[in-house]
This record gives sequence, C-alpha cells and structure tokens, in this order.
Amino acid sequence: MTQERLLEVKDLKVHFNTPDGIVRAVDGVSFKLDRGETLGIVGESGSGKSVTCLTSLRLTNLESADVSGEVIFKGRDLLKITKEELRQVRGKELSMIFQDPFACLHPLYKVGDQIAEAIFAHEDCSKQAAKKRVVDLLGAVGIPRPDSRYNDYPHQFSGGMRQRAMIAMALVHNPDVLIADEPTTALDVTVQAQILDLIERLKTDFNVGVILITHDLGVVADVAQTVMVMYAGRPVEIGTKDRVFSQPLHPYTWGLLESIPHVDQKGTRLVPIQGMPPSLIRVPPGCPFHPRCPHRFEPCDKDVPELYDRGGGHPDACHLSIEDKKRLWNERERRRRKVAS
Amino acid sequence: MSQIAPTEPASSGPGRRDGALIEVRNLSKHFPVTEGIIFRKEVARVQAVADVSFTLMPGETLGLVGESGCGKSTTARLITKLLPASSGQIFFEGRDITKLSRRDMLPLRREIQMIFQDPYSSVNPKQTVGQIIGAPFDIHKIPGDQKKQVRELMDRVGLNPEHYNRYPHEFSGGQRQRIGVARALALRPKVIICDEPVSALDVSIQAQILNLLEDLQDEFKLTYLFISHDLGVVRHISDRIAVMYLGHVVEVAQADELYEDPKHPYTAALLSAVPKAYSDTDARERVVLTGDVPSPMDPPSGCPFHPRCPKARIVAGSKDKVPDNCRDVMPPLGEVASNHYAACWYPVDVGEKLHRAAHA
Repeated sequence: MTQERLLEVKDLKVHFNTPDGIVRAVDGVSFKLDRGETLGIVGESGSGKSVTCLTSLRLTNLESADVSGEVIFKGRDLLKITKEELRQVRGKELSMIFQDPFACLHPLYKVGDQIAEAIFAHEDCSKQAAKKRVVDLLGAVGIPRPDSRYNDYPHQFSGGMRQRAMIAMALVHNPDVLIADEPTTALDVTVQAQILDLIERLKTDFNVGVILITHDLGVVADVAQTVMVMYAGRPVEIGTKDRVFSQPLHPYTWGLLESIPHVDQKGTRLVPIQGMPPSLIRVPPGCPFHPRCPHRFEPCDKDVPELYDRGGGHPDACHLSIEDKKRLWNERERRRRKVAS
Repeated sequence: MSQIAPTEPASSGPGRRDGALIEVRNLSKHFPVTEGIIFRKEVARVQAVADVSFTLMPGETLGLVGESGCGKSTTARLITKLLPASSGQIFFEGRDITKLSRRDMLPLRREIQMIFQDPYSSVNPKQTVGQIIGAPFDIHKIPGDQKKQVRELMDRVGLNPEHYNRYPHEFSGGQRQRIGVARALALRPKVIICDEPVSALDVSIQAQILNLLEDLQDEFKLTYLFISHDLGVVRHISDRIAVMYLGHVVEVAQADELYEDPKHPYTAALLSAVPKAYSDTDARERVVLTGDVPSPMDPPSGCPFHPRCPKARIVAGSKDKVPDNCRDVMPPLGEVASNHYAACWYPVDVGEKLHRAAHA
C-alpha cells in the first residue's frame, strides 16, 4: 500500500526573543503526515503543540521569531516560498480549525457569507454558486436547515454549531491537510462526541490528512492513528495509537496516563507527576523532563536524549534502555490493576 | 440537629435524610429577561435551576455533573447564598437558611466555603498571598497570631510559607489553586463547595490538586459538594453523584452504581460520550445525541430531555416520535433501585444498548 506523504516537518525550531530571554517554544520537532491519517499531538499547556502547528502554516511572525527547520508540504518548503505562493496554499490546500469558534467568526456578518468569503479568496465564482456550495457544506457538517441557517449571525449558533461552521469553512476548497487546534476543548462532552464523529467522517469523505492538537488523551485515543506526545517544546515519543497507549516508552507519557482519573474505573489514588512544567526560557539542561522524572539516572541531567527509534517504528527521547522501560511500565501497570481490583 | 419544623415532605426521594449537613428542597432559580430601559418589563425567564432536591451528608463528597448551562454552578451559588433563591428551601444542619439576612448569614459563612474554577480571577491581584489567605481571619475577627496560622495553612496545602509576601501573578495555575484551597480551609469549615476546581489545570497538576483535596477531607473531616463537567474527575472523587440536565436533577446514585448502571438515558449518553484514554474494555459504543441542549429560556415540555432522548424513541418505535408522557409530563425523581433515583418514565435497563438508537 503506497501512502501519499502530505506534510513533513523536519527539525522545526521556533524561538521567540523576549525581554526576559529566549523562549524555546518549539525545539526540534519532526513528524510526517500521510493522506487519510490522523496525527494526534498531545501535551500540556506550553508544550509547544500549538506553536508547532501555527508555524507549519507559517502563522508565526517570521520577523520576530527565530524559526529554523523545514515544513515540506507536497514537496515545497512552506517556510521558504513567497507570500503569494503561501496565500495560494493556505486556506485552500492546508486549512485550520481553532479552539474558540466564537472568536473566529465575525459577530456582525452572516455565518454563510463568512464561509462564502473563504471561497472568493481563492476562486472566481458567482454569488449564487458560492451560496449553493456553502449551503451544501453546512448540510454536510450536520447543520439542520442549512439554507435558512445561512443567513444567521454567529450569536444565533450554539457552540457546537459554530464549530461545525468553522469546519465547513475549513473544507470549502477540499484541502489536503486539516489542522485542528483543540477543536473540542470549548465544547461539552456530548457535543464533543458529535464533532469528533464529524471529523472522522469528513476525513474519510474528503480524504484529508488531519492533525489534531489536544491536551485530552481521551480525544487522541478516540480518533488518532498516530500520536505524538510533546513536552517542553520537544516530542518525547511518536508511535501508533495502540503502541503509545498500551506500551508507552517515555516516563512523561506514563505520568500523564496515570494522572487522569478514569471514567470506567473505580476511584483509586492518582499518581501525579511531581513538580511543574519548566519555563521555556530556562529549560533544564539534559532531558527537559529529568527534574520531574522518578527514573532519572546519571546522563539525564547532562545529555539531551535524541528522539531515537529502537525498532518497531516507535521512537522516543529517553536515556533508559528499552528493557528497563518495558519492565518499569509493566510494573506500573501491575500496580494499577492491583489497586483497581 | 433536629430542630427542623417538619414541613411538607420533599417532592421526591433523595431530598430527605436524617442528619444531613445540607439539605436542599425544591430549590428553583429563574433569572428574568427584561426589555426596556426605564420601564423594565420581564419578557422571558431563564429557568436556571428547577425544583432541585438533594442532601449532603457529613463527610461525604457529592458530585454534581452536567454540561454547561445545566445549572450546577447556579445551584452552588444558591447554597452559598451568593444568589437568592426564587423558591424552595436550603437547610444547613437542620436550620432553614433560605431567608437569612446577610448579617445572620455571616457566622454560617465560616462553615460553608467555596473554591472557584479560575484560581486567578478569584483572588485580588493587588494583595499578597498572606493577605488573601488571612482575609477570612480579619473578616471573622479571629484572635491569635494570624501570620503563623496563614503560614501553617500554606504549608499544609503545599505552598512554601516563605512566599507569604508574594503576589498571585508570581505563582503558576496549580499553585494559585492551592491559594484558593488554603483560603477556603482557613476557618476550618464543615462544607467546601468546589466549583470546577481543577478544570483550568493541566492533567498532571489536576491530579496533584485532587489528591490534596482528598487528603484534606480525611484530615479535617470535610464535606464536599464537587461540581465538575469532567466525568472522570467526578467519579474519582465522589461518593454519590447527582446528574443535572437543563436545571433538573435527573439522576442520583452511588458513584460506582451510576457509572456501571446508569438509569437515565441522559446519564448513559453522557458517560458513553467521554473519550477514554485507556480502557480495559475495547470497542466504544457511543450514544451520539442529536442536537444541542435546548435553551433554558424556552425549555421543552414534559421531560426536558425528550427531544434528544434515544430511549423515548425506542419506546415509541420510531425516530420521529416520543411517548406522550415524555412529551407532556415531567417525570418525578423516583427510586428506580435501592438508593438510586432517576427522573425518567422509561429508565434504561441493565446492559441495554441505546447506541445509535436515535438514528434507527
């Protein structure tokens, strides 16, 4: 089975110069995205997941930020092409959905007209034809009575419907890649379930590659095929969903999984990760996670662990040997099951 | 404890229990929607809380879950009397506090404290941590070495007592929430109402705060009313759980029972909608609800859930129809199993699948 590589990010670094010092928001991120694949990027606030995606669309200001690395989209480096070329790509072949759908819609314009505007940005098209396309799309994303809803203003839409409208806007030009930055964080769980179902269905119907950014491990487990866990601006492990959730390799991922209370399990004491995420101005030397890691040993505070594949297509950035990792994780799992039963 | 004048019995089961620390009976709150500037005229009402009854027993944690706009936070504000109730009664240790004046309420505020969702906006940015945590001592004119007491509190909730003179902006989100916890704990209250205390925090920090709340409960024999939209968090911390939908309590049960055997179709749908990070049971079967939560300004007739209810459609045998009683009559919160209450005409059977029923 050949897969079409849509997006490849290579060693992306985004550093911001601030009066307090250099903020290393993204510090060496690489990943690939194929057509029809959903890549989930998880991490806590400040782990660099949003900046990674904004920079992939070149939405970070290249004048004020220090960006290096490559973002290869269908063979072209988006960080190098001209602004006009970029405008052709953005919103057409590569589009994005944001967290807060209300902030992304203009309150004084009709929802339908705002979506139609996205059509006019890239092609000449009669008003009637544009309206018809928008109505069809609104129907496709599950808005009831789309022809009358076309004339509604954003405040007349509920949170879930606004997010559907944003998704419709992102899809007007049948993009190849859809980046969704915390698309369901502002929504209630029952509506979140609807939107996740919608994204999954559209991925198949429109055959796009999806990057889903979230802090919710449950959301990732639900819809992603590939998972990248980020900490302090770097990926700590990348693997298929099944690998990352059943045999995670990085102590940070272990900590995250053990921190969440489970809906389908009796209340046992949580095992939080000690301490706090580091400031991105003063990232600890060596492995950025070492001050909070219960398994640190000599090299951890000196050498930065590289993201390295020990076989199995599941690279991770940690100095522990694969045998130690398997042993430690299995011990944790045994303990968890024992407490749970 | 038992000086309650026995008034009429509560409308439904879980409302009455002897020895309750807090008892809420038929509590309702509506907000008027007005028009006009000089001559204000009420044009509509938002029914935020509708006929809610429950009890909070000493030492227990009662979880209150529901989606945004279901009235859980309004309920918290009614109990703490930050908002006046439209009707119904609130009892604290058997005493009706619904109509107490601000002055009469003051001594009771020592007993009922609150932790808020956003740890930053719930503290004064111009005050030092010492002043914030010390404020309850000033308000209630508690004698003794205040500074020492505040430092002890800071130490207890995991803040460095040497940071006494720092300002809130110098702390991270998790630490700020610890400030909120310390302030709530200052006067050794009996009840703490926690309104989404961990929703604004990252998961690793959230786990730290949840553990802290559990430790403090054991140490100080606290009773919690724990409000959250996160079903995992609520199950983790609660002994009993009440589920709210559109201002109504639709189900009350022991935590494990509610999660393993939900009786109200809304609870079943809500639980199935939560994406699970790792579950030992595979194959998710989501009950995808159609549509959105209706507006509380114009709530549906009968059972508030009937326009979205998959079970009602199974009973009626068609996706466009619901049984007449669902449409016309609000079901009472009745006991469907031992100590398990649900407000539904057709409770979900054990193991019944509602999956995609609404689309059938």
